[in-house]
Formats: sequence, C-alpha cells, structure tokens
Amino acid sequence: MKKEKVGALILLMFSIAYGLLAFKIPLSFLGQRETFNARTMPFALGIIGTLLSFLILVLPSGKTDKGDKVEDAFRGLDWSSVGFLIGIMIFYSITLRFLGLVISSIIFLVGGFYILGERRIWLLFIGSVPLVLFIWFLMSRILGMYIAPGEIFYLLGVIK
Amino acid sequence: MLQGMLVGISTTMIPINIAMVLLGCFVGSFIGMLPGLGPITAVALMIPVTYGMDPATGMVLLAGLYYGAIFGGSTCSILINAPGEAATVATTFDGYPLAQQGYPGKALAIAAYCSFSGGTIAVVFLMVAAPALAIVSKSFQSSDYFMLMVMGLTAVSAFAGKGGMLKSLLITVLGLMLATIGTDQISGIQRYTFGSINLLDGISFLLLAMATFALTEAMFLILRREKVSDDLDVKSISKWSSFKVTKKEFKLILPTILRSSVLGFFIGVLPGSGGTLGSFLSYGMERNLAPPEERKKFGKGSLRGLAAPETGNNAASSGSFVPLLTLGIPGSGTTAIMLGALIAYGIEPGPRMFVDRPEVFWTVIMSMYLGNIFLLILNLPLIPYFVRLVAIPRTILVPAIFFFSFIGVYLVTFNTFDIYMMILIAVCALIMRLLDYPMAPLLLGFILGGLMEDNLRRSLTIYDGSMRFLWERPLTLTIMILTVLIVLAPFIGPAIKGFFQKCSSRSNQ
Repeated sequence: MKKEKVGALILLMFSIAYGLLAFKIPLSFLGQRETFNARTMPFALGIIGTLLSFLILVLPSGKTDKGDKVEDAFRGLDWSSVGFLIGIMIFYSITLRFLGLVISSIIFLVGGFYILGERRIWLLFIGSVPLVLFIWFLMSRILGMYIAPGEIFYLLGVIK
Repeated sequence: MLQGMLVGISTTMIPINIAMVLLGCFVGSFIGMLPGLGPITAVALMIPVTYGMDPATGMVLLAGLYYGAIFGGSTCSILINAPGEAATVATTFDGYPLAQQGYPGKALAIAAYCSFSGGTIAVVFLMVAAPALAIVSKSFQSSDYFMLMVMGLTAVSAFAGKGGMLKSLLITVLGLMLATIGTDQISGIQRYTFGSINLLDGISFLLLAMATFALTEAMFLILRREKVSDDLDVKSISKWSSFKVTKKEFKLILPTILRSSVLGFFIGVLPGSGGTLGSFLSYGMERNLAPPEERKKFGKGSLRGLAAPETGNNAASSGSFVPLLTLGIPGSGTTAIMLGALIAYGIEPGPRMFVDRPEVFWTVIMSMYLGNIFLLILNLPLIPYFVRLVAIPRTILVPAIFFFSFIGVYLVTFNTFDIYMMILIAVCALIMRLLDYPMAPLLLGFILGGLMEDNLRRSLTIYDGSMRFLWERPLTLTIMILTVLIVLAPFIGPAIKGFFQKCSSRSNQ
C-alpha cells in the first residue's frame, strides 16, 4: 500500500471519530437554537476532513516511485534507539516531580547520550551536569523563576 | 511613516534590543547550521526565553533567529551538502560544487553578501508595503478576515504542488481540528477535553510547535542515522583565508541579486509560499535568463546559480513578514510560530497592531537592517569557529535538543501532562512525516483556527445566520475568487499548456 493512502486512512478514521464526537459537545438551550454554536466548526471540520482523506484514498496517486510504499518508509530505520529514547522521555516526565528538575534532567541526558552510543563516562557527565545546572541557575537565580525541588528532598528530610 | 521609523530606530537602538538581534543571529546561525534543523525549530526552541521579555524585544530576537537560521542553513548546504530546510536546498545545487572545487570560502562569502543584499533590499520594500497594506486592511471586516484566513490556509496547500495539495489541505484541517480542543471562548463549553482539566485551555501552540518540529527533527536525526557534521574536516576549515570575491565576480552577480531580491520579496508576500518557493523560482529564473555558456555552468558551481537562491530565500523571508505584520496571516511555518508568539504576548495581530503597537511593528522592521549587518560583519568571519561548534557529536546533540524542548514547555506550565502530550504528538507527527505528510500546514491551521472560527461566527451573527456575506461584500467576494484561483492554479497551468500543445500539433498537421 502506498504511503499517502495509509496516511489518508489514518486521518479518515480520525476525522470520522472527530466528527462523531462533535455530537457529544454539550450545548445550552440557547446554544441549540443558534446558527453557529460550539458544535458547528468541529462538525464542519469533521466532514471536510473525512471528504479530503476519502479523496486521497480514492484518487490515483501521482507518484509511482519505488520508495513510495509504506514498508519502504519504515524499513531500515533505527527504531530501537528511538524506542528507547521515547521510553526515557516517559521516565523523565514520571520522575520530574519526584526527583526534581536537576536530578531527573541529568538522568535523562546521561541516559539519552548512552542510548545513542556515547560510552565515554566523562563526556556523559560533562555534557549533562553543567548544562542542567546552567539552565537551573539561569531560570531560578537570574530570571527569578520558582522551580520546585523534588519530593524526594522532603522525604529524605533534606528540606523541611 | 517617518514617525514610525523613528520609533522603530529608537527602540531598536536600546542596548537590550541590539543584544537580542545579535543573540538571535548567533543562535539562529548555529541552529540553522545543524543539518535537519531549520528556522522553525530555532524559533520554536527560543520562544520560551522570550516570554519574560517586552513584546518588541521578543519579536526582535525571533526575527534575528529566523534570518540567522536561514543564513546558517546555507552554510551547511554549501559545506556538507545537507540543507537544514527546504529553503536552502537550491543553494546546494551550485554552492556545494563550488566548495568541492576548493572555493568554500568564496561560496560562503557570496552566500553572505547575497543574503545581506536580498534581506536588505526586501526590508526596504517591506517598509513601504507593510504600512500601505496595514492602512488598506483597516477597512477589513470579520467576513474579509475569515476569507483571508481561508485564502492563507489554502495557499499553503496550493504551493505544495499538484500531488501534495490534498495532503496539505488535509493536514491544515487537522490543525484546525486540534485548535478546537479546549474551552470554546464564546460559549464557555468544553470541547474534546474528555473531562480532563489539563485540556481545558486546549493544546499550547508552543507544545505543538516543539513536538512537530524540534522533537520530530531530532528523532529523524536518530532514525536515519544522519551524520550531523561527521563528514566535515574541521581543521581544514580554519585554514580558509580567502573569503575574497573579486570585482569581476561582483559585477557578474549584481544583476542576479537585484532580480532575485524583487522576485523573492513578492513571492514571500504570498501567504504560504515562503523562502522555498522564493529560492527555487529565483534559481529557475536566473538559469532561464543566463546566456547559453553561463547556463552550462549551472549545477556545476555557477556563481549566479549560488547568488540567485541565496538572495531569493532571504528576500522571501523578509517578504513573509508583510502578511504577518499587516494582516496577522502568516506567510510560512516560521512566521506562523511568530504569530503564535505575538498572541502569547497579548498582542492582537492584524492591522490594529500597526495602530496600537507601532513600536513592535516598526522595531521588527528596523531591527532587520541591524540583523543583516550583524550577519555580514560578524558571522562571516566567525564561520570557521561556528563550524567547530557544529561538530558536536550527534550522541550529545539530539538528547540536548529533547531536553531544551521539554524544559521550554515544562517551565511555562509546570505540568508534566504537557510532556506526555508532547511525546504523543511527536510520535504521531513522526509517523505522518514518514508517510510524506507535511507538518507546517498543521501549525498554520492550528494557529489560525481560533481566529478563523471567531471571525466566521461574528460574520454569521452580523448577517443574521446567512452566508450571503460571501457574495454581498465585494472585498470578501474578491478574496474568495482569489482563493478559488489559487486552488485551481496547479491545474489551470498544465491544462492551458496542453490546450496550446494540441492546437499547435493540429496546425502542424
């Protein structure tokens, strides 16, 4: 199947779901009588999106390149590194409040460098610690932004 | 106008604004030099920094980043044949061969002079055109604005070409859909929030811009195992001493610069076209105008072939500020992000900005002169050092981009939900880009979505629920006809060509 057709199929499903969900937008009594209410735009967009994606699916695609197939678009790419990076991003957002900005950011950066193949220990820390500390210093000390310390500091009794 | 210019000059000359122009040019050049990263990423990454600033200062920084990144992209195209974004692709045609022939310094110098000339000439046009258009657009009503936004969004898709038009339109609609998430500003009704308080304010444009560009570009660098600058022999760059361009060479490229500046500017003014079309059309025009001997050199290191796209894309970048500053309609993906920034600063974009916030309007324009000068005098001699910075390994660079993107969004709301949302949107955007769907129209649709709905609602209220404003108001009707013509343009051209070919073949028979 061609790349653009797969994309159109995904967006067709999205548009239909979006259009159907437009009916679930609550309306006030007066809103129901208005020509243009909170549902109008989503409903219209749902129809236009469905129509456009349907057209892409039905109409012949202009390109006939060999690399136009969906398998070719996803083959031969470094998915494992991206997968691990997405994993560490999720880990970062989970730990951000608990460990605080500085520690979780350092872990994220060191982990990210490691996933991408950096094995020099000194570079792992030289590349992450000064950068995070600089950002923290810039934001909290120079720009005066309050950055909450991690919950762990309260649990350990470092901050009371 | 003179008063406005004076206001602009005095505001630009404030030390903080001069520093921001300089910072914008430097950071923009640096980010632009990184293959895969272009002006959109540069501007998106720096927006959080501007939140605490005065709107004029913030816009000056963003404008500096924009043309700095375009300049940086050209450097990368010339040195390692890896354009950071579509607008600098045409630069590789002759810039890279010239560098390969042993003249990297000359190629970079020509690129810098042309960027400077294209940018500066276009700013002169901008200075005249923008206020004139702003005065005209004061008579615009909501129906005209609605149609103008439809035209802007359609034009983006139309310029994507025959094959990509439907795809771009669909992605624009997707952007409009995302814009409806959150609380409806007029009725106060929640739409697509699924009961989550995190979605009550909708999706932040900064989050969307970071996710669809900064994060996705960085993921692409890993996915395709793209070498950031591993091919570059950094030591040899430091030896370049000859950035000299001879008088004869200047004479050769001068007419090209003038032609491409004018063409680039007018292309840039068209909503949705931006630097890409400006650079390609300038290159095409120059090749067609060149004498047969010179034409043979195109693609093999022609100076005119390098000068044309470089001038064209810079002039178009300045040109794209005309619809942004006067109508509040972005001309490109980057200016769409800048429009979002303006809204975030609490400024209502459009012709009122010219009246209400003249200092922002004029400071952006006047700072462009300064920015172009900085790029020429400071960045050109610094290129060898910049390139050393660019030699940061991919293993360090990519996680750093992720980190800056997350921090940029997190420090605005302190809500970890935004990071989850960013990851989700970035993965979806990555898949869509792998399927050859462009992401710039998504941002345009998203940013204009709310304004478009408001204007349509207002028009319908004024016209008692009827759509007759579309044909009763001459201005709205004219814009609508133009929109239809823009949509049909990719089909009309080949149809006319085919018709004439048929006619000529019949007459030959």
